[in-house]
Amino acid sequence: MKTTGLLLLLAVALLALASCAGEEKAGGGASSGLANREDIRIVVVTHGSASDPFWSVVKNGVDQAASDMGVEVEYRAPDTFDVVEIQRNLDAAIASEPDGIALSVVDPDALEGSIREATDSGIPLVVLNTGREVWRELGALTYVGQTEYEAGVAAGERMAESGVTNALCINQEQGNVALDQRCEGFEEGLGGSVEQVAVEGTDPTEAQNGIETALSQNSDANGMLTLGPQGAEPGLAALEASGRSGEITFGTFDLGSSILNAVRNGEMLFAIDQQQFLQGYLPVTILTDYVQYRVRPIGEVRTGPEFVTQGEAGEVIELSDQGLR
Amino acid sequence: MAQSATERVRKVSYLRKWLTRPELAAVAGAILVFVFFAVVAGNRGFLASKGVISYLEVAAQLGIIAVPVALLMIAGEFDLSVGSMVAAAGMIVAISVVEYGWPLWGAVLLAFGAASLVGLFNGYVVVRTGLPSFIVTLGMLFALRGLAIGFARLTTGRTQVGGLGEATGDGLLTTLFAGTIGGIPVSILWWLVLAVLATWILLRTSFGNWIFGSGGDATAARNVGVPVNRVKILLFMATALSASLLAVIQVLDAGSADVLRGELLELQAIAAAVIGGTLLTGGYGSAIGACFGALIFGMVQQGIFFTGVNTDWFQVFVGAMLLLAVLFNNFIRKRASEAR
Amino acid sequence: MTDTTPLIEARSISKYFGSVVALEDVSMQVRAGEVICLLGDNGAGKSTLIKIFSGVHRPDNGSLLIDGEETGFDSPRDAIDRGIATVHQDLAMIPLMGISRNFFLGREPIKGRGPFKRFDVACADRITHEELDKIGIDIRDTSQPVATLSGGERQSVAIARAVYFGAKVLILDEPTSALGVKEAGIVLRYVARAKGQGLGVIFISHNVYHAYPVGDRFTILDRGRSSGTFDKGEISQEEIEKMMAGGEELDQLSVELEEDEESEEGPKR
Repeated sequence: MKTTGLLLLLAVALLALASCAGEEKAGGGASSGLANREDIRIVVVTHGSASDPFWSVVKNGVDQAASDMGVEVEYRAPDTFDVVEIQRNLDAAIASEPDGIALSVVDPDALEGSIREATDSGIPLVVLNTGREVWRELGALTYVGQTEYEAGVAAGERMAESGVTNALCINQEQGNVALDQRCEGFEEGLGGSVEQVAVEGTDPTEAQNGIETALSQNSDANGMLTLGPQGAEPGLAALEASGRSGEITFGTFDLGSSILNAVRNGEMLFAIDQQQFLQGYLPVTILTDYVQYRVRPIGEVRTGPEFVTQGEAGEVIELSDQGLR
Repeated sequence: MAQSATERVRKVSYLRKWLTRPELAAVAGAILVFVFFAVVAGNRGFLASKGVISYLEVAAQLGIIAVPVALLMIAGEFDLSVGSMVAAAGMIVAISVVEYGWPLWGAVLLAFGAASLVGLFNGYVVVRTGLPSFIVTLGMLFALRGLAIGFARLTTGRTQVGGLGEATGDGLLTTLFAGTIGGIPVSILWWLVLAVLATWILLRTSFGNWIFGSGGDATAARNVGVPVNRVKILLFMATALSASLLAVIQVLDAGSADVLRGELLELQAIAAAVIGGTLLTGGYGSAIGACFGALIFGMVQQGIFFTGVNTDWFQVFVGAMLLLAVLFNNFIRKRASEAR
Repeated sequence: MTDTTPLIEARSISKYFGSVVALEDVSMQVRAGEVICLLGDNGAGKSTLIKIFSGVHRPDNGSLLIDGEETGFDSPRDAIDRGIATVHQDLAMIPLMGISRNFFLGREPIKGRGPFKRFDVACADRITHEELDKIGIDIRDTSQPVATLSGGERQSVAIARAVYFGAKVLILDEPTSALGVKEAGIVLRYVARAKGQGLGVIFISHNVYHAYPVGDRFTILDRGRSSGTFDKGEISQEEIEKMMAGGEELDQLSVELEEDEESEEGPKR
């Protein structure tokens, strides 16, 4: 019967998909310590889906580490940001009894219960990207990522070195605490005056208009910092439209192809790379080493800020095209 | 009595009666899905108690919505606004508590009150204008989502409102909606209670008979005096209230509200109801069936984790499994009704 | 012997829809234990008159009397409550629902009190079974869907339902029009039985072959006007048919058609 055939076909296809999906590990391992590498399974739970260009680099880091270390790694993230789904992912991850979990703690209140369950069950945790303030009290091994405030300070200092005294800090996503910290750090590091400007990152036209307006209202500003591609790209367009490209020293957080091109052409002084590849790579290696040898870094592992300037831009563009920066 | 004119009608056996129940195919589908994951991922946590709770929780959160949605569908109408209602109700609770300092019980009551009004509005517009409920509630889907976003940005400048954990602590209400009893998350208990209540109403009260009648043939039902309009309005209120119940549960559990919560929930609820034997055209269906439909969803969504399938293939997997469950469902039902 | 006061009576009733004359000066009486057939071609006004009897419309002129008292209906529900039951041709039963659920829809038997009030399914099944037995339909499981019954059986169940719930006047709207011969027979037999139980029956049809055997009196409508009410003894089946089709007009038409034929044949020779 047609229906039965269709059913069987679907069932077989699913079984095949399921069975071959588990093979994410390659060969290779050093002396085994407390466990064999082939037997180690790590689950990475984050708030950024692999379809997001930023997180895609993180996942590439995860995959590379899995391959290099010869361990099995699963990556779980929701398609759209939703704490409830992240919680479910984490619960499922814990229930599957992995050897280690790497996670971004985007909402400590919501995830606290599940995290305690994990630590109570003896599963080692590494926090990545978000959660720098809470990793210690949650009982994680370490934190891998950029520290926003310090990164802001470093950016301010860089700009001050180039002679910036009066700058705009463009925040394209109100309510994102990490971005707030970047601007605060920037103000501290610059030592001059900083005007925070809020624009709507999801609407490029509106953002560009907002930045242009801010530029015309602050005629004595000689520097501008944006906090991500959604601010940087409209920022570039706004600078050109306002004709003040020569006077304004422009820098941004995070990378992107138009950003890197601007750095290479000298339109931007620097772009700050938080090296999210490492945020994917390092937790896997740290967890593997802990499971095998009970060793771990003491304190947090900082992956940023790394400044990409005109000199390195060319290489970084190549790596960015490969999804590695 | 002389030869009965109805010689074609024969005695229906007890077994056959069970084979033709609307829920049968959904139960069979659930067993199929369970066996699939037990075989492929049993030793990777699917069968462990934590694994069971994780998929039961997902099933419960969908089931709380799917049960009243099924009842409404049996009465012949659709409610596409439930997903947006979850987001809006969640925002109402979070903003009242965090921005305006309301006590939690007040915020919860406000959310339920608002939901009743939305349901009342939906129902009233549908019965008064005679417009398809699909369209009316589709409009509400956009309107409610927009209201949630607009209001959240207006009062807090953000689209996620957190901080309820500090504001509310571990009081009675938090335990009632987001706690655990005997290790079982309360949401599962809410789901079961709702399912039992809905089934009792549907099969053992005159209101339930009216639901079948309104969906089977509204004009015929009206002709015998069934208050079809009242039945439909009450059911629209029920779906909206279940959405706000889910919202309160999620907000108290996660400690935050998000304007994007509940996206696609309305379609999932309808799918669960249909898998459970409810007809899209109305007049026939089952609340228990919708529960098994929700269970299938939960097992599929969480079970996938335990199979270790690469995340990139997630959506494909979910879609394929659901299709499988529905096809199987259909197959069983055809067999059962042919056998009659 | 029948009671002389009609159960329901229309006296010189007129009904207009805008400029359309649906009914003009129509009178009709229904007595207990009597079947009165309301006949007429499509568009004659039968539906409109019935809707007035069942409370859907109000007459524009003339009066409606129940048990001799001049009165009106507030709503269809009001008419039902006062014993006027209408069984429609295609809206009789809901196919997906069980027979007993259909039987008691809107008037479910209740057991228990307070929040534990429930639909007494067992009682409903039992009574439905009994009533169906009385009209000769033997079904073991009355919870099976109505869709399993034939068209004639469904009509009969609908009539049985009306009778059970205390109808005094039964209005049957084209009950046999969609049925085969055997099915129609089932319904007609039951109509006769209902009459025997003392109900007044209005039997609407455009099919005189079904109506004639079971009727006691016949009212014929023609384009909104009554062509008269006749006892069975006064009029034959053929005469009724002719009047329904517009009698004199048909004669005229035949003559014209014959003339046309002759004139056509002429030149072709």
